[in-house]
Amino acid sequence: MRAPDMRVPDMRVPDMIGLGIDAVLALAIVWLALQTVRSRDLFKAMLMFVVFGLLMSLAWARLHAPDLALAEAAIGAGITGALLLVTWRRLQADGHEPADSEHPPLPLWLRLPTAGGASMLVASIGWVALELPATPGTAGELAWQRIDDIGVSNPVTAVLLGFRAYDTLLEMAVVLAAWLGARAVAIELRPGALPGPAYAEVPLVGALLSLVVPISILVAVYLLQAGGNAPGGAFQGGAVLAAGGVLLCLTGRLEAAAQTSGLERVLLVLGLVVFSLAGLLVMASGGAMLALPGLWAIYLVETALLLSIAITLVLLFAAAPGLRRAS
Amino acid sequence: MMSLILPTTALLLLLNLAVGLIRVSRGPTPADRMLAALLFGTTTVAVLLLLAEWMALPALRDVALLFVMLAAIISVAFAGMPTTDEEEP
Amino acid sequence: MNPQEVIASLLLLSGCLFFIAGTIGLLRFPDVFSRLHALTKADNLGLFLICAGPAMRREPLCSAGLLLIVWMLGLLAATVSCHLIARRAVRSGQMEPRASEPPACVPRTCVPRTCASRTCASRT
Repeated sequence: MRAPDMRVPDMRVPDMIGLGIDAVLALAIVWLALQTVRSRDLFKAMLMFVVFGLLMSLAWARLHAPDLALAEAAIGAGITGALLLVTWRRLQADGHEPADSEHPPLPLWLRLPTAGGASMLVASIGWVALELPATPGTAGELAWQRIDDIGVSNPVTAVLLGFRAYDTLLEMAVVLAAWLGARAVAIELRPGALPGPAYAEVPLVGALLSLVVPISILVAVYLLQAGGNAPGGAFQGGAVLAAGGVLLCLTGRLEAAAQTSGLERVLLVLGLVVFSLAGLLVMASGGAMLALPGLWAIYLVETALLLSIAITLVLLFAAAPGLRRAS
Repeated sequence: MMSLILPTTALLLLLNLAVGLIRVSRGPTPADRMLAALLFGTTTVAVLLLLAEWMALPALRDVALLFVMLAAIISVAFAGMPTTDEEEP
Repeated sequence: MNPQEVIASLLLLSGCLFFIAGTIGLLRFPDVFSRLHALTKADNLGLFLICAGPAMRREPLCSAGLLLIVWMLGLLAATVSCHLIARRAVRSGQMEPRASEPPACVPRTCVPRTCASRTCASRT
């Protein structure tokens, strides 16, 4: 993998078409964002947001960032879309009439200057970022030179689990805290966000599940393994696995349980515990903390992270203490 | 010549997407908007495959795989839970 | 420009054409069900052609296999999505599937044996 090239090449016809592609994407994304905020119909706003996530994934792909495109596809387009739609269904079922937005729009003399100011801020930051000369000796360059010390060739994984491993450890703690916070709030809400077994009788859905769920497990493991040399990694794999779990919840194959089972508790904390233990053991045996000793350690930690992320996302989606197979 | 055809096709598909946005924005019923989301899913997969070929990033094929796998989730979420007063066929 | 590239280019362009046809159907057809019909069929055929295009050029077989899997999963997703959306549209009561009307049959020019319409046969 060669270092990113900072020179601007001469424009040829394919590059001009590439510019056209980027322009269409940028305009569509901005228009979608406007429509999401301005729509009075809640369903329309939700769907605009989901489509916005899809186009953001394309934008990441155009920016040569496949890792981000993977994450955006799994989370933004898949799980968030399902979450928003299920919420909309709940609002409808509860009779909240989500079709009308309740708040009147802010006055025009407030909206226009705010929008103008925000746009100018973004534009000036972008212009400054483009005009900055590349200074030698930045952290990115140093990391790029020392990447062989970590043992993986994918720079994203090297940063996440090598150079900035502490950040990832704390992010796992944040994920666990989010789950605990959601449980603390959800105790007061009505349980049973998931459909009953009647929905399980729709014919095509069974075929979909029997194909998609095993493939999602396979793809999750593949993304985990590919994270060493190619875009992928624990987070993307965990999101895919969670998407398979969300599909099972949506179609009534999994239903809410009243208690978090022992296995679920173990899986929820597995990522944080394994990562911390690995870091502490390395420190106890003389190295720096969280300097994982080799590729096998990275894969072990990533597997634990994948399982934790997947179970946390599914349980957050289901808004239930636990899940069990539908009877 | 392929280096011309690939981005041109990608651009045409993106324009397709932009035109499909009209249906999402206008479509009178929620089902109309949902089916425009279906269009977006399939077109995005096609654009990703083309970009994978053109920008020489084979990882984008994995992104396309993810997209197709998750495309059905939104429809399943939309088709929704039977409410207590809906009759089952 | 070898024949592989020519075939691949033709496949890509015809795939693009089918996508455009599907979008035209999305915009111009009168109700949800006909739009679903147009979209699902045209878009998936277009996706097949676009998957087949790069597969023609690829030497390693696993890349072509991945493209095939992507298309087949796309087919599955579109099938189930189409069915579920249509089901929801019908059951939410917003849309009635249009009953097909019998073709207009003028009694004078209608010969019982050759006219296929039921209303016509009942008139003579």
